[in-house]
Amino acid sequence: MTRILSLMSILLFTTAMVFAGGAGDNSEMEQGGDVEQKLIFALQNEPDGLDPGITNNSFASPVLLNSFEGLVVYDENNSIAGGSAESWTISDDGLTYTFTLRNNLKWSDGSPLTASDFVYSYMRVLDPALGAQYSEMLTDYIVGAAEYYGGSEDMNSVGIKALDDQTLEIILMKPTAYYIGILGMWVYSPVNEATVTANGDKWTLSAESFISNGPFKMEEISFGEGYELVKNENYWNAANVKLEKLNFRFIPDPSTALVALEKGDIDGQWEVPSADLPSLKANSDALQIIPSYGTTYYEINCAKAPYDNPKVRLALSMALDRTSLIENVLQSTDQPAFSLIAPGYSVDGMAYDEGRSDFGLSPMADVEGARAMLAEAGYPNGEGFPTLELSYYTNETVKNIVEAMQQMWQENLGIKVNVSTEEWAVYYENIQALNYDVGAMGWGADYMHPMTFFPLRLSDNGMNNSGYANSEYDSLIEKAQSETDPVNAMKLMREADDVLMADMPLIPLYYRSSPKMIAPYVKGWYITPLNNMYLSGAYIEK
Amino acid sequence: MSSYIFKRMAMTIITLFLIAILVFFLMHAIPGGPFTAQRELPPEVEAALNEKYNLDQSLPRQLISYLGGLLKGDLGPSFKYPGMRVNDFIREGFPVSAKLGLITIIFVLAASIPMGIVAALKNGKWQDVLSMIIATIGVTIPSFVIATLLMYVFSLKLGWLPAFGFDKPSGYILPVIALGGYSMSFLARLMRSSLLEVMGQDYIRTARAKGLTEFNIVVHHALRNALIPVVTVLGPTIAALLTGSFVIEKIFALPGMGKHFVTSITNRDYTTILGITIFYATFLVVMVFLVDMFYVLIDPRIKYE
Repeated sequence: MTRILSLMSILLFTTAMVFAGGAGDNSEMEQGGDVEQKLIFALQNEPDGLDPGITNNSFASPVLLNSFEGLVVYDENNSIAGGSAESWTISDDGLTYTFTLRNNLKWSDGSPLTASDFVYSYMRVLDPALGAQYSEMLTDYIVGAAEYYGGSEDMNSVGIKALDDQTLEIILMKPTAYYIGILGMWVYSPVNEATVTANGDKWTLSAESFISNGPFKMEEISFGEGYELVKNENYWNAANVKLEKLNFRFIPDPSTALVALEKGDIDGQWEVPSADLPSLKANSDALQIIPSYGTTYYEINCAKAPYDNPKVRLALSMALDRTSLIENVLQSTDQPAFSLIAPGYSVDGMAYDEGRSDFGLSPMADVEGARAMLAEAGYPNGEGFPTLELSYYTNETVKNIVEAMQQMWQENLGIKVNVSTEEWAVYYENIQALNYDVGAMGWGADYMHPMTFFPLRLSDNGMNNSGYANSEYDSLIEKAQSETDPVNAMKLMREADDVLMADMPLIPLYYRSSPKMIAPYVKGWYITPLNNMYLSGAYIEK
Repeated sequence: MSSYIFKRMAMTIITLFLIAILVFFLMHAIPGGPFTAQRELPPEVEAALNEKYNLDQSLPRQLISYLGGLLKGDLGPSFKYPGMRVNDFIREGFPVSAKLGLITIIFVLAASIPMGIVAALKNGKWQDVLSMIIATIGVTIPSFVIATLLMYVFSLKLGWLPAFGFDKPSGYILPVIALGGYSMSFLARLMRSSLLEVMGQDYIRTARAKGLTEFNIVVHHALRNALIPVVTVLGPTIAALLTGSFVIEKIFALPGMGKHFVTSITNRDYTTILGITIFYATFLVVMVFLVDMFYVLIDPRIKYE
């Protein structure tokens, strides 16, 4: 605790220095305490843009989710709660969503925010010239959206309508039980038409033209250096926003950020250096392990012999000691994975993964089982098995895993494994071209529903880079997608999960967790399993 | 002299165009493109983006339109950062890198030349040994190790200096030492050996025989010649320091140019790769040119016809 106290004094000193350098900025003190309500948070990477309609870049998430607010948000229990919308109704056929916006919503510049702003923003995403990277989150669901995106110019057929200033209607193509979760993505944030029209693609590049509607608004953009946000007094819930200032600083080297955090110059950091995790786990009161809705798995080329044989794939999967990988190689807090679909979703208190099969896998390696399985596939003791090419994208952590996997397969199965690496852009092209045997991959969920994972193995999906196709699986997913009853949908998804993993068209490795550093005197924040950090309720208590 | 300068300028422009063309084809030859990502873009979006950035045209045509923009000083839009132009990256990043570089150059010169002179004049004495120990450490230990050590001691353990950023003037101290350590050591060693060699020349003996003071001999006769090799490497050194170091900028979280150069390559942000390469190249060529001009000032034997 004494360490914290001394760190705090350094922090106060530092902030005083920062202000001394500013243009006569005076630090506002929060009532009730004399601690300055200012949070400095280190981000490792600069996002490639801050237009919520355009970017799908996860680096932008801490900034976008705290400066914009869509119709709904994820709350601290990871359920959907009202954001800009106070309430909504869903028609009995599951197609029509009617949102009632909160009273007197305003933009950060004080101008009124109405339902037609949402219509403008969503129609903007549907303009291909914008280059919206998440446009599929609209075109896949909203009636008429794909056609409009394709150039139909028929605005009236798109199921996005402002019924009046406070009522917004969205009509879907088919009932989609998880659509409300998709609405929590930032692509569904409203953008201000006036500033977009006036400033074009430069409206997010300067604080003056950066108009938003969330708990914080942009005060200063220092390119390459960071963003300074301040409390947005025009936010509907401003009374409950306690932070006066929120600074995001780009510190590309997480080790530097760690020094700055221990020194008290920053209050939190998004990326934690993996080499420091073990010591931080033992000694740091700032380390936060956030379970995350994502799976790290290995692609396996189901279109290429001998990997087209499910038994070979199962044998490879069985021969891995996931516990050892997590505890000894990663030294992380991830969980062994036996399926593509990470746990975390639940319906009426019933968890998605409750009673799910282990698909023949176990936390430790099942060496005998794996050998038997490989023998059954025609390769007793690995004899006659071609050299397995294990490829990965250049990354230090992945390299450690891959080398451990290589060793496990060589020892446990008696096969020869060759490891190769390429930088991401080259690597991913090879994966897409099915030019690989086994390759590192992973998926972090876009929204809090298992359906964010399933498309990865649909036969006609562009992200299915495994050559796997199973019509039974495809039809189960199709049924699950349009099932309006969440309990039935979950049953269907579990069936699809069983069908999929019985074929083992991927090697599940671990369900991810995400370590963050947040100083213990920062309270009221939450980070969802989607790796979304919400700071609207955060405050400093020293 | 003026015809020489004119010739050099013409050569410079040709060199830069050749560099632009070479880099253009090299970067298009590496696999992947600016829009390769795991969350694959719908084909319509990719087509729209390619059209927006002229990537749907043939390579020679892209090159011609790029070179056309280049003549007007327009380095094109960034593919990765909507709304940003490559000129913006340079305008934002270069002053940061240049300011750090300038301070580093002053530090390097102020430290290395006296160090080298003292070491040469006190050849074999403790001053020489000490200078050369420091210089050897500086040359052999990579800058990122020095940076990390400095940060560990002065930021974490002693808490005297900030670990990142230029928010305070003291933020410059660690990056300057880490960035300049190698050049300082290298130049000190070069200065020492060059001065030692000159001090053994006949004309120095003549000067001594004339009864000049040792100070006079060193300053007026020895240094001018001894500085020539130093000036030769100074050009590229200054260019390198001014345009920034990716490693140092990354470790100390400095918003300079180095980061854009490296990330643009992994991102396949074609215009940024090209723009920054051309900017670096221009800078280097200009610095080398200035050094050549500077020779005339310090060495009366050199004249350009």
